[in-house]
Amino acid sequence: MSIVAGTLERPDVKKPIDWWRWAGRFFLAFLLVFTVLPMAWMVLTSVKSQFAAMQYPPQWWPAEPTIENYTKLLDPNNKVGQDFLKYFWNSLYVSLATTVVGVAVAVPAAYAFSRFRFPGRTFLFFSVLVRNMFPAVVFLMPLFLLMRWMGLVNTHGSLILTYLTFGLPLSIWLLKGFYDNIPIQLEQAARIDGATRFQAFILIVMPLSSPGIIATSIFSFIGAWNEYVYAYTFLSRDDQMTLPVGIQRFFTEFATDWPGLMAATFMMSVPVVVMFLVLQKYFVRALTEGAIKH
Amino acid sequence: MSIATGQVADALHEATSSRRVNLLRRVINHRTDYLYVLPALVVMLVVIAYPIYYTIELSFFRTPANLQMQDKIWTGLDNYVTVLSSSSFREVTVNTLIWTLSSTLFAFLLGLGAALALHREFVGRGILRALLLIPYVISAVAASYVWKWLYHSDFGVIGALSVQLGFSDRPINFLDNLDSVLPSLIVVNIWKEFSFAMVMLMAGLQTVPEQLLRAAQVDGASTWQRFWHVTFPHLRGVSMVTVLLLIVANFNSFIIPWIMTGGGPAGASDIWITQIYQIAFGRQRWGVASAYAVILFIVMMTLGYFYVKALTRGDESRAG
Repeated sequence: MSIVAGTLERPDVKKPIDWWRWAGRFFLAFLLVFTVLPMAWMVLTSVKSQFAAMQYPPQWWPAEPTIENYTKLLDPNNKVGQDFLKYFWNSLYVSLATTVVGVAVAVPAAYAFSRFRFPGRTFLFFSVLVRNMFPAVVFLMPLFLLMRWMGLVNTHGSLILTYLTFGLPLSIWLLKGFYDNIPIQLEQAARIDGATRFQAFILIVMPLSSPGIIATSIFSFIGAWNEYVYAYTFLSRDDQMTLPVGIQRFFTEFATDWPGLMAATFMMSVPVVVMFLVLQKYFVRALTEGAIKH
Repeated sequence: MSIATGQVADALHEATSSRRVNLLRRVINHRTDYLYVLPALVVMLVVIAYPIYYTIELSFFRTPANLQMQDKIWTGLDNYVTVLSSSSFREVTVNTLIWTLSSTLFAFLLGLGAALALHREFVGRGILRALLLIPYVISAVAASYVWKWLYHSDFGVIGALSVQLGFSDRPINFLDNLDSVLPSLIVVNIWKEFSFAMVMLMAGLQTVPEQLLRAAQVDGASTWQRFWHVTFPHLRGVSMVTVLLLIVANFNSFIIPWIMTGGGPAGASDIWITQIYQIAFGRQRWGVASAYAVILFIVMMTLGYFYVKALTRGDESRAG
């Protein structure tokens, strides 16, 4: 079918000039510049010395590139490095814990929403969905009070619990989409062969839904890694901070060391960008899940 | 005999005792289903339902700054009056609308253009898509700091570039200027989120039937006509969802204005969310902030209604 279509289309490629196609190319080139230049400038700044960065007109290309900003961040023997590594570790711990807890709780719920027809299902599911529309600020004050009451202020537990406010509904929503696409006949066959409903779920559906679980986990991880508002509000102790809050604290204290800050933002972005690039297919699928059925 | 009578009586009883028993029976029949949902339900009750309830409750009270909540005083709708009649409310609302609508409009248009241009197969298409998506993936905190540096009033690269290219004779102060601060922040926001619209619309484009486009081409439809009469109608559903999600995200965005300007200068980039945060955690007026949050919440619920409608409408059209 597509081969036939290809041969049919070939003749009109010879039409004079396809202005739309050229317009598309220019547009893409513009978007590429718009997207990449800020990131490129971040990287270029991060390899300059403080002195070289604070010049006018700027050094378009670093005259004496240095990796000192990075070694400083990663050196466990000085204060800046210690703090940065601590924040990095905190972020990693909180994001992983949020992902594991969120996905573990979301998997059975999403499966139930996809397969079972219990009373109240539609209502519950739409309340899950509508949750995505609420701003963090609506939850911020009561959760802050709740955390204080539970004695969780300034702990990672408070972050893991609150990150579930956005992580859990999103995970349920994404996973349900994936379960909807797994043919129910597979479970029916297993049931006929004598499996219980729970066995069919664990042994048949779970392995098949691993792409969905991976996609959901990435989403959840990236969301938690990038989260700022709750961490900014709940944490005041230096040793508990996650990266997004932490870098703000220690770079504004020293009248903003821009190259150092750029190096830190770069380091902060590396894990999520790498994760995204490796698992891009899943990421894109998770993003569009629900709006478009596969 | 007696057994049969009993059965008849049972049947009669069942018929008369309305649908409530029926529902109860269905609930009981499905009781194991709830076990799957239960953990999620408990978590959601604690971290979602309770906070919403508490925010609404707080909005009717005057609360002490020290957060000793047993000392709160019932004030009825006073907090709402305070919010709606405050001198800054109008300006902040206008800012919020400008911020939300222009971010959404431009992010959608850039995303649509990118999706259409990327729809055709070409070498490097995958790499290009990945590059364009990076701003969406990285944290808004990182984006804010990078752009703050780009906009820097003395050493910012954008100011320097505009001098080099002759647009201006000295570096421009983007973020400390009342007129330029909001547009400057909107650019950052668009940079961050246009690729979301792009990915959504790229997925939507795959649902446009090739045959229809080819048929239109054979019939002599121009590229524009094919887009407007064939492609675009097929994108309507996904466009709706995308625009709604963008509006919601923009309405709720906090990080970019907060880190880059903190709402300043003189409130020129203050939007609802930053204002609420300020009132709550800056001025410690929890009740007023809650009332503000409830107003925001109502707006969001209205949008949420349309979101659910857009999604379910898609369901029906798929079924039909």
